[in-house]
Amino acid sequence: MNRAFGSFSVPQTIGAKLMRIHWPVAALLCLLAGIGVSALYSVAGGSYSPWAERHALRFIITLGLVIAIALTPLRVWLWLAVPAYGLALGLLVLVPLVGTEALGAKRWLSLGGVTFQPAELMKVALVLMLARYYQWLGARRVSRPHWVLLPLLLIAAPVVLTLKQPDLGTAVLFAVVGLSLMFLAGISILYFIGGGVLCVLLAPLIWQRLHDYQRRRIEIFLDPEKDPLGAGYHITQSKIALGSGGASGKGFLQGTQSQLNFLPEKHTDFIFTTFAEEWGFAGAIGLLGLYVVLFLLVLSMAFSCRSQFARLIIAGAGLILFLYAFINVAMVSGLVPVVGVPLPLVSYGGTSMTTIMIALGVAMCAFVNRSQGVRRG
Amino acid sequence: MFGNQADDDDEQRRRFSRRALLVGFGQTAAFGALATKLFQLQVLEATRYAPLADENRINVQLVAPVRGRILDRYGEVLAGNDEGYRAVLIPSLAGNVAHVLERFSKIVPISIEERERFIARARRQQPNLPLIIATDLDFEQIASVNLMAPQLPGVQIEMSAARKYLAGDTVGHVVGHVGSVDRVGIDDDPVLRLPGLKIGRSGVERGMDERLRGRSGTIKHEVDARGRIVRTLSQTEPVRGDDVALTIDTQLQRACVARLSRERRASAVAIDVTTGDVVMMVSVPTHDPGALVKGVTMRAWEKLREQGNDPMVNRAIRGLYPPGSTFKMVTALAALEAGVINLTTKITCEGQTELASQIFRCWKRTGHGACDVHRAMRESCDCFFYEAAHKVGIEAIAAMGHRLGFGQTYDTGLAHQKAGVMPNPAWKRGRFNKSWLGGETLLAGIGQGYVLTTPLQLAVMTARIATGRVIIPQLVRPEAGMVPASFGMLGLKPQLIDAIRRGMTAVVNEDGGTGGNARLDDGQPLVAGKTGTSQVSRASADRNGVELSWAQRDHALFVAYVPANKPRYAISVVVEHGGGGGATAGPVMKDLITEVLARDPAVRPAFPDMSGSAPVHRARQG
Repeated sequence: MNRAFGSFSVPQTIGAKLMRIHWPVAALLCLLAGIGVSALYSVAGGSYSPWAERHALRFIITLGLVIAIALTPLRVWLWLAVPAYGLALGLLVLVPLVGTEALGAKRWLSLGGVTFQPAELMKVALVLMLARYYQWLGARRVSRPHWVLLPLLLIAAPVVLTLKQPDLGTAVLFAVVGLSLMFLAGISILYFIGGGVLCVLLAPLIWQRLHDYQRRRIEIFLDPEKDPLGAGYHITQSKIALGSGGASGKGFLQGTQSQLNFLPEKHTDFIFTTFAEEWGFAGAIGLLGLYVVLFLLVLSMAFSCRSQFARLIIAGAGLILFLYAFINVAMVSGLVPVVGVPLPLVSYGGTSMTTIMIALGVAMCAFVNRSQGVRRG
Repeated sequence: MFGNQADDDDEQRRRFSRRALLVGFGQTAAFGALATKLFQLQVLEATRYAPLADENRINVQLVAPVRGRILDRYGEVLAGNDEGYRAVLIPSLAGNVAHVLERFSKIVPISIEERERFIARARRQQPNLPLIIATDLDFEQIASVNLMAPQLPGVQIEMSAARKYLAGDTVGHVVGHVGSVDRVGIDDDPVLRLPGLKIGRSGVERGMDERLRGRSGTIKHEVDARGRIVRTLSQTEPVRGDDVALTIDTQLQRACVARLSRERRASAVAIDVTTGDVVMMVSVPTHDPGALVKGVTMRAWEKLREQGNDPMVNRAIRGLYPPGSTFKMVTALAALEAGVINLTTKITCEGQTELASQIFRCWKRTGHGACDVHRAMRESCDCFFYEAAHKVGIEAIAAMGHRLGFGQTYDTGLAHQKAGVMPNPAWKRGRFNKSWLGGETLLAGIGQGYVLTTPLQLAVMTARIATGRVIIPQLVRPEAGMVPASFGMLGLKPQLIDAIRRGMTAVVNEDGGTGGNARLDDGQPLVAGKTGTSQVSRASADRNGVELSWAQRDHALFVAYVPANKPRYAISVVVEHGGGGGATAGPVMKDLITEVLARDPAVRPAFPDMSGSAPVHRARQG
């Protein structure tokens, strides 16, 4: 007898589980990855190597992973939540001690020849942990102060650790995903209002205590065009690429800014710029539209779930996806500073792809098991 | 208990759904904000960014035009281009320079050492700058390179042109030479910034530089963020410079150079008075501009300078000489026109004239006795012209001098002309801040004192007297399609100018004339002319039979036109420190006239009449 799960018509066979996978979401993932392949083909000057073919291969493998995870029992993830969070936190603590430095930031851990970023593990682990916590907590206690403080600490720990690396983008992602999950879990809206007011009050005090060079850094951070050849170079070139693409774009394979290497990180963080330069505003809007449809579909998956655990996992995966996409596009169009966040499913890179697909896999698993109840505790 | 739990779950689920809707709405709104920002960048501000992207990627490279040729009046090439094909390598296009060079050397052999030098240079220099890897390619090699083009990235065949002076020192001074660009101003043709481009530095090369230069072509390259050339976008061919045809007759020029080279320093100019064409302009010693283009070694340059005869100076336009007695036509015409003397006025020459207790000597110490203007011209009596100058005054003399072509330069396409000096009191006041002295008028009257002229001006004066028209010399044949213009009349009374012409004819042809040495062997056609001996030092003024050193000797001058009755050519000769005008310059003039007439194309009609219908003059280029 299953202790944790109720026994509402739980699908048992693989075939039945496959039937319950949200295939429109899977199809949308394929579409976005396909756009990624074509953009990487273009950015390589019309060549499948070195990026497009590997991107395609990676997506196919991780899509298999999504389906495999979707077929696992949900309780596996319930059990894994606490150890995964603990492991991720432990590794994050290890990074500054034994990590590898790249591009002025220590983010990588090398384990037996394989390098990976503990922060990536933490993205999934944090969602699992918070979902597990609120599943355990139940509806009545969510707004009690000490039960609010505990998840805040769970969120604050990885935020502080990643800020120290320094990796502002990921820190923001942890904070926003965590706070959003707290909001979705149902804690009183008053906490959010109070927190907002506190931030507004504290900001000037903090600003006063900063050194001049720190302020200057923040100013350039907020307005990179003040330093067009230094920190602003990326964003200036990116804006030129977007702007010169115009309404209808320069055409497939015709993007001069990216083809000629004026764009830094053209195949990773700035892939959206490449795409928008070649396909114009029309293409960019189309791509953004696909993402919106994807978030809304993912979010809608949560509505049909019986357990808070499943709902929060799905919402968390959707939020990760959303934040990646939003920060990336906002960054390349100059709305927010360059923080090094890839465009999910389109940017080249194995790490972010794996993270996102695992998160989506777990969400898919929750959806497959949507009619299961989960016992509190 | 269980029901309570279910209620809690339902409430939890409803709350989640409400808040999830809010979150979904927020996500959509956030993407709406992104879309707005993109709309601003890609639609509203697109026009601002498109040129920035082009600026980023397009690099414009200039291509030097081929310089126009300089031809003589019969189309003989004086300055041309040694045109050949060369291969250049653009390192940024080549990728692996060593491999490309290795493959290239199978077509055009390049030694391994040389290849290594190229590789080293390619590494040092800007990767977009072409590196010349082979010159003087033949057509087979060019064909092979073109055929192999895909295996030879970055290798391009281009035309090279080195300036070549085919007539050498014969026309060295006239043609001039080209050299590197010293400074480039902001407004100058950007092609001047091209390394290795040559522009005219002297002579016609300099004077006609803009026509000869042509227009540069451009190659637009696409470059990447590191500035390396990726590919060629478009190309406009350079426009070849115009050919410039001179009025010089090279064969005549060659003969005259040979004749004048018998003197140490001399120059001569011959003008076709019907057109103003300068058919001959010689200055010796001369030089070969080709040697200057190839680059002069310091030692060779020092040697040229040590010779002391300034072979670089074109004396015909830059040599300044007191005209001496060749100036007497000016004084005579000024006095006759003013009416202070007439054709029958006689002045007695006693070998010297006194003015304000200053003695002005005639060259003939014993005096000429009573002279009218005809005899005074023929025998070059100084006293007559002292008196005439004194009577008419310096202003009238200076005005007549200007009318006959002194004190000015001509737009002949020749750079570095000198205007000389046609003095008057205002000029002296401006130059020395001193007032004019009466004696200086007398000196000016015989072409001494402050008066300084060039051989070109002397030839122009002669041509103007010969025709009675304002002949303007031209050295460059006008471009086709220019409207013909005619020379205006000088406005001198025919009987006065005729008297001067008769006087000049007498100088060469009558007994007692100072210019008998210029008479042609068979006496025909008649030559009209005037000798001149201009003092260069006090020593030569106080000649007392002692042999003077070369540098102290007088300049020998001769101006003439021929035929005397139907003028066709006006010629001037100056032999520096040659001694007497009649004795030294006369025989030279005779030989030059002989050469000029020998090459006179008989088919061309001579000047119809001295005072008759207007001569047709080909338009001068502007």
